Amino acid sequence: MKNYFQNLYKWIDERVQLQSLVEFMGEKYVPVHRHSIWYYFGGISLFLFIIQVVTGILLLMYYKGSEDLAFESIHFIMSKVEFGWLIRSIHSWAANLFILAVFIHMFSVYFSRAYRKPREITWLTGMLMFFMALAFGFSGYLLPWNELAFFATKVGTDITTAIPLIGRPIMEFMRGGEDVTGATLSRFFGFHIAIFPGIFTVLLTIHLLLVQRQGMSEPLFIEDEEKYEKKKMPFFPNFLLRDLLLWLIVLNILAILAVFFPWELGTKADPFAPAPAGIKPEWYFLFMFQTLKYIPANIWFIEGEIFGVLLFGIAGILWTLVPFWDRKSSRGERNRFINYIGIFVVIYIILLTILGWLT
Amino acid sequence: MRKVIIIIILSFITSFHVFSQVKVDQCLECHKAIGDQPSTLFKNDIHRLKGITCSGCHGGDSTSDDMEKAMSKTSGFIGVPKGDNVSKVCTNCHSNAQIMVKEYNSALPWNQEALLAQSVHGRLSISGKERIVRCTTCHNTHGIVRVKDPSSPIYPVNLPKTCSKCHSDAKYMRTYNPALPVDQLNKYRTSEHGILNAKGDPKVAECASCHGSHEIRSAKDVKSKVYAINLPKTCSICHSNSNYMRGYNIPSDQFEKYSNSVHGKLLLGKNDFSAPACNDCHGNHSATPPGVESISKVCGSCHALNAELFASSPHKKAFDQKKLPECETCHGNHEIITATDKLLGVQNGAVCKWCHGDKPESKAFQTAKSMRELRDRLVNEEKKALLLINDAEQKGIEISDAKFKLRDAKQALFESRTMVHSFDQSKFREIIDKGLNVTAFVNQDVSSSIDDYFFRRWGLGISSLIITIVAVSLYLYIKRIERKQKSTV
Repeated sequence: MKNYFQNLYKWIDERVQLQSLVEFMGEKYVPVHRHSIWYYFGGISLFLFIIQVVTGILLLMYYKGSEDLAFESIHFIMSKVEFGWLIRSIHSWAANLFILAVFIHMFSVYFSRAYRKPREITWLTGMLMFFMALAFGFSGYLLPWNELAFFATKVGTDITTAIPLIGRPIMEFMRGGEDVTGATLSRFFGFHIAIFPGIFTVLLTIHLLLVQRQGMSEPLFIEDEEKYEKKKMPFFPNFLLRDLLLWLIVLNILAILAVFFPWELGTKADPFAPAPAGIKPEWYFLFMFQTLKYIPANIWFIEGEIFGVLLFGIAGILWTLVPFWDRKSSRGERNRFINYIGIFVVIYIILLTILGWLT
Repeated sequence: MRKVIIIIILSFITSFHVFSQVKVDQCLECHKAIGDQPSTLFKNDIHRLKGITCSGCHGGDSTSDDMEKAMSKTSGFIGVPKGDNVSKVCTNCHSNAQIMVKEYNSALPWNQEALLAQSVHGRLSISGKERIVRCTTCHNTHGIVRVKDPSSPIYPVNLPKTCSKCHSDAKYMRTYNPALPVDQLNKYRTSEHGILNAKGDPKVAECASCHGSHEIRSAKDVKSKVYAINLPKTCSICHSNSNYMRGYNIPSDQFEKYSNSVHGKLLLGKNDFSAPACNDCHGNHSATPPGVESISKVCGSCHALNAELFASSPHKKAFDQKKLPECETCHGNHEIITATDKLLGVQNGAVCKWCHGDKPESKAFQTAKSMRELRDRLVNEEKKALLLINDAEQKGIEISDAKFKLRDAKQALFESRTMVHSFDQSKFREIIDKGLNVTAFVNQDVSSSIDDYFFRRWGLGISSLIITIVAVSLYLYIKRIERKQKSTV
């Protein structure tokens, strides 16, 4: 058996020079320190994304992206297709866990200043993928064409009209018209399964190549603390196997969630029915949604909603461009201001999400 | 004897008082001399007896014997009022409480004109210049007498004829409402009310008893006294009054019974217009209790299938022979309650037992018993399926298809309830079997879904175990590698 694998390896190595890649990976080391745990969230995010791709492709075999058939096809998947319930529930749960993992990964990178020179492009591609993950969630949420998703999409797409000048065209582009209709569903379906995955794959490839090329960033304090003994572990096989171990645990968590808390389908969307009470977006949009609720109707001369959307827009841009304005960290100096901003953002998101959930 | 003397003296004083109020009416004196119809009719008019002269309505000076002066515009003479002015002349007094009460000590209501204005008769006529009716249309012009006076056109016995002057005139009625029938009087004369009314009984219902007088509204108007949800109450005004109904030899508890019936609860409690009001079974203008032989036809106008099945069943002939009222025998009349399964079978409380209970060996007894058993079986199977569905839903299993399918069993239960009226065991069994097939399918489908639920849990347990073993092995493998790496360093 062992000989068989050695022969196979040799066969491939002769053709694609696999040995040089293995040697490269063997020379790659991952810093070991008390915050090493955060390194694994990139891998978890990647694993969950792979699960999304696999389960998404399986769902595609039965899903029908039209106003008349979308709900029925998901119902069919959940009740008639062998293990359809499992695939659909895992897809839904993994989507949420993916966004949670991406959030944690982003904040860990932010707090450890891993975005500083020379990793600005890695951060930028990561941030773009973060926004794409949110877009994946938003577009996928509508696909079952159930009541909650329909009205949440209506509210969500409506918010874009607050953007001056381009808001309305954006909304009409997203909806495929004035209202959320079957055209919106077809459009979201197209975005969700073709356009977004295509862009995401390119970004992910760049992101992973850069991580491999540049290695893991060491937090600033390691460089500061002279007494700190620098430890490291080989990326291959140590870190990769640990990654694999975590992936197994995540897989088991997903299976438990799918069996004990199967993702509900709800009732079919009826565009003529009144919106049910308590329409809320998905949890990862809740802090923004709740903020818009608290903003008064008018601030100075600007409409409250426009103010809120502009505020989040500017905050998002500033956050994305942090490697370019946080010069101190790039120079290797301590910048407490970045910590204060980060802590404020984390507390703000958690607090507003809880408030949005409770109200 | 003393009482008679007192009555004679009081009558004398009263009539003296009345006649003493009649002023000398110079208009009447001259017109009497001419001998025209108005003056002849006005002689016995209630208004003249109350001291109102011609000028009360026509204006002018009725004390002057000078025609020029009496009928001059300066003295307020208006001539013959036309159109709605006729009613205006009446309302000058009849809508004025002060005049009616203080001057004439009248107990008449003073809102007749307001009620008339809101009524169907208060709408504009086809000319568009005046209302459809004015006071004189029903009350006459110069010969107006009290309502209780048998010569009054609105005296209960005369009223149907008065109303029919317009309402039986097809040509006239067509101009207002071509859909409205014009045979109400003919129908009324065939009703118990109409027959007694024609015999001179002023107590029985006539047009105003049900439709109202000045306030008459279209039967489609929700405020109408004959609007479906108001009708039982309207009928009950007389029919629930035991004192009033004394002498007619009919009970006075129909409204109470109806209110508690399945029909009454639907119509009065839920405003469900599919339930019948009094007129739907008894007729309206031709109101009369349905005869024994026509009960199934009356009930069958709504419960068509049940009536049809009954008519072709062996019970039809038997009921006819024994002169039993068809539907009423088992279901009652005014107090019809929701038919439950308890009515079917041979146990206590079952209606079949009333006739067939004493012959257990008879075919009828066996049929009733078997039908009840079949139905109980389907009811139990449906309950079992519902419990299973409930259990599956509690477990979060998707079983909407089975739930939808179970509606066929419910349908079979409904159909079987109707099919009871055929009293044919084979036809009844056919429907029950259809329902049982559905419940068997649903029970099997839901059971396998519940099995699948446990399979999922077992599957999860086994997968978790495998993943745990792999994870632990991996962990140990990592540790071994790291130990090896440390030892080589």
